[in-house]
Amino acid sequence: MKKIRLDMVFSQSSDVVSREIDGSLIIVPLTSGVGDMEDDLFSMNETGTEIWRMLDGRRTLGEIVETLTGKYRAERGEIERDVIGIVKELIKRRMLVEETA
Amino acid sequence: MSKKPLNKDSATKTENGVPLSGRALIELIKAVHARGLPFRFRAGGHSMAPFIRDGDVIILSPFAACEPRPGDVTAFIHPETESLCVHRVLAVRGGRYLIQGDNLPGKPDGMVPLNAILGRVTVVERAGRRVRMGLGPERRMIAFISRCGGLTLIRRLARPLHGCLRRSPAPCVKN
Repeated sequence: MKKIRLDMVFSQSSDVVSREIDGSLIIVPLTSGVGDMEDDLFSMNETGTEIWRMLDGRRTLGEIVETLTGKYRAERGEIERDVIGIVKELIKRRMLVEETA
Repeated sequence: MSKKPLNKDSATKTENGVPLSGRALIELIKAVHARGLPFRFRAGGHSMAPFIRDGDVIILSPFAACEPRPGDVTAFIHPETESLCVHRVLAVRGGRYLIQGDNLPGKPDGMVPLNAILGRVTVVERAGRRVRMGLGPERRMIAFISRCGGLTLIRRLARPLHGCLRRSPAPCVKN
């Protein structure tokens, strides 16, 4: 997998449907033209949902880390690892698309 | 402003087969159907046996241009419990649909309005194989028989035969 850098920008793939239900975000892949609950379903709660919302095709990962650092009681490095970790997971499931300049 | 603690788990939690409430499932079905795509999920319960069994995987397609017809197996929001149900349309009266589970004789779900019907079951998969019985042209006959209360009678008559068929294969295999 390509190395994830903080200057990269990602947007949500159009091949997913996401809904916030009962405080958690559920992402359903639309692979092969079907919304498939039997496929890889992705569930995230508060922090994950916040990261997902900020993956809007405009903000860099560095900007997302910055926003979260101002909001959460945690080391920047820890937040950075979390953001990159979740981005990697979403890329692996083809739920994110890299925006190229 | 005080900072919130970071819930590490929340940022990285991923699961397969996330257990969802009925309301969540309804939301997701609506969202996927809004894109014009079918929705695949696992059915639970015995109310549609023998055509849909507990644990079968079903594909629910949006109705798009056509409307539900007698015989169609539909997913809908139950008018009383507001839960998600998958049962068969028996009749259409005044723009509302009389729906009932094949295995729930004499217990109709009531008259369901069109806006409570989410889609039609177009595929049933059991142990990785497609099950066609109950969704093809015979579905209208099944609805008719169910409306007349005949499914229970057929099931009662078929039970001893089913038992015989289960017990009999050994001599045949021996040949």
